[in-house]
Amino acid sequence: MDMKIYVCVKHVPDSAANIAVKDGNTIDDKISFLLNPYDEHAVTEAAALKKHLGRGEVIAISLGTEDVEKTLRSAMAMGADRSILVKTDRQRDSIFTARALKAAIDQDGSPAIIFTGRESIDMEGMQTMFRLGAAFGFPVASNVIKFTPEKNSATVESQTEGGGKNIYHLSMPCVLGVGRGINTPSYPTFPDVVKARKKEVKTIDVKDLNITPSPSSMSVISLEPFAQERRAREITGTPAEQVQTLVNILRNEAKVLN
Amino acid sequence: MTKKYDAIIIGAGVIGSPIAYELCKMGYKTLNVDKLPDAGEGSTAGSCAIVRAHYSTADGVAMAYEGFKYWLDWENYLDHAEDEKGLAKYMNTGSLLLKSEGHDWKKVQANYDEVGVKYEEWDNETIKAKVPPIDLHKFWPVRRPEDPAFYDEPTEMLEGGIFCAEGGYVNDPALSAHNIMRAAEAKGGTFMFNAEVVEIRSENGKVLGITLKDGTQIDAPVVVNAGGPHSFKITKMAEGVWEGCNIKTKALRHEVMHCPSPDGYDYLNDGYHMSDGDIGCYVRPEVGNMFLIGSEDPDCDPQEWVDPDEFYAGKGGHGKDNQLTDEQWKAQCYRLGKRIPELKVPNQSKGVCDLYDCSDDWIPVYDKTDLGGFYLAVGTSGNQYKNAPVVGRMMAELIDACEKGLDHDNEPFQFTYKYTGRTMDVGFFSRKREINYNSSFSVNG
Repeated sequence: MDMKIYVCVKHVPDSAANIAVKDGNTIDDKISFLLNPYDEHAVTEAAALKKHLGRGEVIAISLGTEDVEKTLRSAMAMGADRSILVKTDRQRDSIFTARALKAAIDQDGSPAIIFTGRESIDMEGMQTMFRLGAAFGFPVASNVIKFTPEKNSATVESQTEGGGKNIYHLSMPCVLGVGRGINTPSYPTFPDVVKARKKEVKTIDVKDLNITPSPSSMSVISLEPFAQERRAREITGTPAEQVQTLVNILRNEAKVLN
Repeated sequence: MTKKYDAIIIGAGVIGSPIAYELCKMGYKTLNVDKLPDAGEGSTAGSCAIVRAHYSTADGVAMAYEGFKYWLDWENYLDHAEDEKGLAKYMNTGSLLLKSEGHDWKKVQANYDEVGVKYEEWDNETIKAKVPPIDLHKFWPVRRPEDPAFYDEPTEMLEGGIFCAEGGYVNDPALSAHNIMRAAEAKGGTFMFNAEVVEIRSENGKVLGITLKDGTQIDAPVVVNAGGPHSFKITKMAEGVWEGCNIKTKALRHEVMHCPSPDGYDYLNDGYHMSDGDIGCYVRPEVGNMFLIGSEDPDCDPQEWVDPDEFYAGKGGHGKDNQLTDEQWKAQCYRLGKRIPELKVPNQSKGVCDLYDCSDDWIPVYDKTDLGGFYLAVGTSGNQYKNAPVVGRMMAELIDACEKGLDHDNEPFQFTYKYTGRTMDVGFFSRKREINYNSSFSVNG
C-alpha cells in the first residue's frame, strides 16, 4: 500500500483584512479567508517528502464549512494530491477537531506521518496537533524547522522561545507542527491551479463519523478586535541627534533595547 | 484676518502640485490645501506611475510623449530645487503593447505615426527572446477565475507587439509630487496640510475663496479643483459648477497586485512595462523583483463606485473598502499566470487598493467652469500621472489666459508643447464636451 502523508490545514481569515466580529464571538466571514500561513509550510514539507521518497500520496484534510474547499484547493495547488473536507456547520474546539480529524483519517487510511502548521493564526490554540497525536498514540513535535526522515523514524529540530533549538528523534508515524523556518512555501503557478481543479475533494459530514462526544469542551464566549493605536512622529535634528532620539525611543518606550 | 492668495489649488498630489509650480513661475502667489499630512500622500501614492505613450487618441499620445521629456529631465524641470527626501527616479524599462483584441492597437500605431513616437514592431519570436518566461498564446476574451471557461486551453497565438524604447515608470509617485512641492515652494508657493475644504465661497458668479473645516477662510480670485478622488465632492461645493459639467467625475475603486517574479527571471532589471489587453492586465517591475499587476478594467470585472471618505476610512465592507479582495487577487494574478506560466501566486494578496478619479469617458477634464475663477483638473482616471508636469503647465497657461479675458468655451485655448512643439486644443478636455467615443473607456485612456 502506498505511503499516506496527511496534512491538516485550516481555513483562516486573511490577516490583512478588516476583521469584524459577528454575534460577539465569531469573525465575520464576509472577508477573505485563506490557507493558514503555517499550513503552507506543512503542505510544502509534505510535498517535498513525497518527492524525496519518490512515492506516497499527500492528502490535505480540514474541518469546516463548505467554504473550506477553497483552502483545500490551495493546498492541492501547492502539492497535495487530493483532500478531505470534514463538513461541520459551526465552530469547533480543538478537542472535537482532533477527534474529527482522527476519525476521518482512520476512515481514509493509515498515516505514515501527519503534518500541521505550528498554530492557526486565528485561534492560536496550539492544541490540535497534540490532541491528534494523543488520539493516535503518535509522538508530536512542535515548531519544527528541520525535518530529516529516516527509516521508520525522523529527526527534527524544533525552535524554542528565545531562539533555542531542540533536536528530537521520533518514531514514525508522528505528528509534526511545522514553523516558518522549515522551508519557503511553494506557491502555485497557474498550471498548478488548473491541475488542482481536477483533483478530488472528498466531503464527509461530521455527523457520519460517529465521533464519541467528549465530556469536556471549550467555547469562545467573547471576541473583541484589538485596535492598535498608531501614531506617526517626526524625528528632527542632525543625523546624530536623530539617531540618539531613535535609540532613546527603542530603549525607553519600545523597550526593545537594553 | 483672512489670508489672500492669487490662486488656491485644492489638492497637493501629482496634479495639484505642478499647477502651483507653474503658476508660481508665472508670478502667482499660490496656496495648495490638502486634507492629508504631506504632498502626494493621497491617490498619487497609490499610482503605478507608469510612463507610456500609448493612448487611444492622438492628443493623448502627444501629451504622454511630451510628458516623457519632463521625466527624463527631472532635475531641470524642478529647476534644481532641493528635496530633503531625495528625488524620484524615472526608470526607463521600455514599453511593450501586445497586439490583441483587447486593445485597438492599430489606432495606437496610427497615433504613434501621427505624433512621431518612435517604436518597433516585434514578432512573437522577438518577444520570446526578450521576455523568456512569456507564453504568447491568445487567451481572449478576458474572463474571471469563477468562470469555468477561464481554464480553457488556448489554441491560437498572439501576433506580436509594438515596442517603445521610451517608456517605464517613476519609482516613487508620492515623492515625485513632494519634489514638485519643493520646487513650487522655491518659487514662492505655500502648501497647507491637514486642511479640509468644506466650502467654496462665491458671489455674483465669481469665486471668492475657500473655507476650511476649522472655519478658516482663505480668499483668492482663482480656485482650482485638483482633489483627485474627492474632486466630485469639491465640484459640487462650487455654485452652479456641477450642473454646468456635461462630463462628471466619480471615484472608482481599483486594486493593483504585487506578485513575485518567477525564480531565475530578473524582471526588475530585465523586464519591460507591458500592456496586455488579451488578459486585461498591465504590468511593470517593482522593487524586490516583483510584478506589479494592474487591471485594464475588463467588462467582466465589477466596478465599485465609492464614497472616497468612507473608502479611505476602511468602511463599506468586502469589495468596497480599501482592502484587497481574494477574488480580484486571483483574477489579476491568474490572468498574468497564463501569460507568465512560471509566475508563483502566493495565497495571501499583496498590493495596493486605491481610487481613480474617473470621468464619464475616462478622459480628464482640464477646464474653466461656469463659476468665474473656478477651474477643474479632474477625472484623471488612473492614466494621467505621466502627464502631470505637462498638465501643470497647460492648466497654468489656461488659467492665466482665462483670467486675462479669454472666452475659452467659445475660443478654446491653444497650448503649445514645450518640447515637441505640437499645439493642443485644450477644448478637447472641456467639461462641456460630449462623451468621447474614441476613448478606450479604461485606464488606457
